[in-house]
Amino acid sequence: MQTLDFLLAGFQAAFQIGAFLTIVVGLLIGVIAGALPGISFVNAMAMALPFTYAMDVTHAMLFLGGIYVGGVFGGSISAIMINVPGTPASLPSTWDGYAMTKRGQVKRALTIAVTASATGGLVSALMLTFLSAPFASFAMKFSQPEFFAATVLGLVSVIAIAKDRPIITMISLLIGVAIGTVGVDPLYGQARFSFGVPEVESGIRFVVVMIGLFAIGEVVDLVSTDRDLRPKKPQGKASGASFRDILNLKGPILRGTGIGCMIGVIPGAGATPGAVIAYGIEKQVNPRGAEFGTGVEAGLAAPEAAKNATTGAAMVPLLTLGIPGSAATAIMLAAMMLQGVNPGPLLFVMDPSMVYTIFAAMIIANVLMIGAGVGVAQMFSTLMRTPPAILAGFIVVLSLIGAFGVRNNIFDVYVCLAFGVVGWAMKRVGFPSAPLVLGVILGPLAERYFLTAVANSHQDFTVFFTRPISATILLLALVFVLWSLWPSVKSLVGRRSVQEAGLDSN
Amino acid sequence: MTRDASLKLGAAGLVAAGLALSSGMALADAYPERPVEMVVTFGPGGGADVMGRQMGRLMEKPLGVAIPVSNVAGASGNAGLTHLRTNPADGYTLGTLISLTVASWASGLGDSKPEDFRVISVVQNSPSFLFVSADSPYQTAQDLFDFAKANPGQLTVATSGYGTQDDVTLKLLAGGGVKMENVPFQSPGERYASPIGGHTSVLYEEPGDVAQFLKAGQLKPLVVFSMERHPAFPDVPTSAELGHEISGLDNFRSIAVRADTPPEILTRLEAAILEATASADWQKFCTDTYSCIQPVTGDAAQKMVTDFLQLVSKQLAS
Amino acid sequence: MAMVEKAQTDPSPVTLTSGGLPPLLAPALACVLTFAALILPTFMFHGDRRLQVNGLGPGAWPGAILMALAAFSAVWLVLEIRALVRGKPPVGLSAPRDEDVYHYGKAITGIVLVILFGWLLPIIGFALATASFLLVWCLYGGLRNPWVVTLVPVLGTVGLLWMFMGLALMPLSRGIGPFDQFSVWLLKLIGIY
Repeated sequence: MQTLDFLLAGFQAAFQIGAFLTIVVGLLIGVIAGALPGISFVNAMAMALPFTYAMDVTHAMLFLGGIYVGGVFGGSISAIMINVPGTPASLPSTWDGYAMTKRGQVKRALTIAVTASATGGLVSALMLTFLSAPFASFAMKFSQPEFFAATVLGLVSVIAIAKDRPIITMISLLIGVAIGTVGVDPLYGQARFSFGVPEVESGIRFVVVMIGLFAIGEVVDLVSTDRDLRPKKPQGKASGASFRDILNLKGPILRGTGIGCMIGVIPGAGATPGAVIAYGIEKQVNPRGAEFGTGVEAGLAAPEAAKNATTGAAMVPLLTLGIPGSAATAIMLAAMMLQGVNPGPLLFVMDPSMVYTIFAAMIIANVLMIGAGVGVAQMFSTLMRTPPAILAGFIVVLSLIGAFGVRNNIFDVYVCLAFGVVGWAMKRVGFPSAPLVLGVILGPLAERYFLTAVANSHQDFTVFFTRPISATILLLALVFVLWSLWPSVKSLVGRRSVQEAGLDSN
Repeated sequence: MTRDASLKLGAAGLVAAGLALSSGMALADAYPERPVEMVVTFGPGGGADVMGRQMGRLMEKPLGVAIPVSNVAGASGNAGLTHLRTNPADGYTLGTLISLTVASWASGLGDSKPEDFRVISVVQNSPSFLFVSADSPYQTAQDLFDFAKANPGQLTVATSGYGTQDDVTLKLLAGGGVKMENVPFQSPGERYASPIGGHTSVLYEEPGDVAQFLKAGQLKPLVVFSMERHPAFPDVPTSAELGHEISGLDNFRSIAVRADTPPEILTRLEAAILEATASADWQKFCTDTYSCIQPVTGDAAQKMVTDFLQLVSKQLAS
Repeated sequence: MAMVEKAQTDPSPVTLTSGGLPPLLAPALACVLTFAALILPTFMFHGDRRLQVNGLGPGAWPGAILMALAAFSAVWLVLEIRALVRGKPPVGLSAPRDEDVYHYGKAITGIVLVILFGWLLPIIGFALATASFLLVWCLYGGLRNPWVVTLVPVLGTVGLLWMFMGLALMPLSRGIGPFDQFSVWLLKLIGIY
């Protein structure tokens, strides 16, 4: 089998000392950054971006992949130990995980979390390895209309996931797409919304927006609340979980993994919805579902598995289509483009060794994560003795360096600051910022796919519907939108208020 | 990157620091006494970046200092030029200036003018070709042009955008009766994948950027837009041979500094560039990218830029 | 993956308690958005250097997006006004439910400090700006130990300089005029140049 030969070569490349160390360092940075409240794995990856300039593209991807895998898990350490999700995707882990900690079972909770995460991540990485190549060869048939359709699917999936507030999510998304149109347009070379300021012609990059929205607001909140970030001393005797205990949880872990893999593949969805949906479903099917929230182990295992199961899956559309489905994979895309590598179906033909090295690295990273997770969890108490002010100060400096480093342009720092203020305000009034970031990421892609597709078909707009693959994907997107709008429509038609309809999604 | 060089320099710098600080400005004859920044006006990976990095690496020896590369991308290269223009004119900031950016001035982008810069040397130049995929129904330029004449606008050409020299070339061809549809692809990867995948009829590009596809036999050159045949492709006819005299729209890449840089520094940089381009490394690089030329320096280099701008402006306005 | 992340950070984004938000905030925001989306297309291009255009032109996509934004904002406005009239909490917005006390004054001060830092960066250079920012930030964060307050900014700045200017070769700002000369001197002193 060709795949296995390539994978074997990939493993050999990934086990080279330099490559292996890159994965380990990335993994550790990811777990630590993920565990620190205020730095999500996405922020950590954005800050790591400048360092990848000095690496070749394979090492850059191993490094970012390590941070990604480690960071998605890392958030659970603080979620379980101090009830603060270090990364939004770890939110469900606070519900049963912290409840276990309060009972003195912190070690057991962490062991279950790390094992479930690693299992989910591993299965997902295997799926990435074995499904990508067939999918890429199928994707060779894709032209601009299909790319446009896939981008649209990514854009609308965020509405489907946040289906409690479709209108406001749509507005946030559209604002993001509109921000993405600032600067030189992709086809005509004309500056838009520049207001005569030359710097604005360079446009607004999503990494800069993201750092501003997510990091700066978070930092300000870190110093503006009286939250105690130090873990409490566990009461009673600390005991871990045995292999047998884990085996007893195979149901929730496997269900979570399946859900995570499915959700991860959809461009636009990601770790957070994966974990939340897996928790919801597990609550329905588990015999102890009614007790969830009081420290039930299954309620911790399922979202943990799902969250890391999205990591490998999310890289399928990135590597096979070149469409980043999430902020994390968008940063990977940026790193690849910075090195002159254009992911897409051709990549599997032109550079299979790099692709399979990345696959091997994802598998290795998920296995190593068990060690890294346990290690960081042990030093976490020490880490949290750092005063939040010092932590916050360095996050600010690193964020601005990260924004500057995208294009070595001071203008990007100003943009980042502006979005920092906006992001803080949005958080204070509960205006969702994640769809906005997705809009900035996918909007420019959608625009150029659309315009090039139309130009390539002699200005024929029906091209999106007459090509079978494109039409199918667009139909799927339409189903998504209708499905997400249905509760609101139902509530408007029926007697139920919008308020109750919103509660359905939790 | 020669870390050694910069470390040694750092040590030497300790001694020189007091002097430099007391004398206020670095003296021109001491130039260069610290790392020189090479501003690449596009993101990493493109033709301008590869050139800037090669040049930076090869100029480190003649200048005796480290030359770190920073990519300041955006607005067709104009963001990087703004950076170059606003840094002091002390020779510590070099920049890449390429034809694509100059063409963008003609369509109203940026606020730079040729007079803002001093082009030290044009180091790379390559004419553009039309390519088709290996299994295309048009295997010669004559076939292609005949079909386009009989069916105006039917054929699609993948280019880098409207208002670029690609667009100007297609406009000139259309003026000669060969009317083909311009289909801009912003991402180079997609631009090459589309003709290879059979979604677009023709590709307009310089050969260096598609070298890997040429070697793999996936793309076939049909015609070169130049007055003479390209030495690396002696079998490919020129557009002039087919009755379309289109030239002067070649892709050039140059190294520039701010216009008011002291002449001693310009001389020093010019010598360094000439030494770099004479090296075996550079010769291999430019041969691989089909872009070797005798470096154009001084006023001739400056004139090359202004002439190019005039030609593109005239054609876009017509 | 952090897609829906921040929207869900808040433990219960769905609960629609008006939670301390001014009642007119949501309708006002919806109104501003609708209005902005309607007038922004006229500011799309600066000057009138329009070229003859093949195809849809550079204004088609942003125009369509802003039109959609205006439409959705208008719908939101209607829903908010309906909720307001019926005396219900806002449809779109909800204040985060903080488990802890939130100090708005401290938050605003923090934002101002961060903005000052960004503003000073290109003027006095990365090294000086970062060191002074970290110093002020430590004081602002309530740290008073003189060792911490001096060592964190100094060692932190030198470490960051080494990491980003030395290792990653980033051209971080050296400042202008005398600050530039100071930065060059400093960089030579710590061995980066």
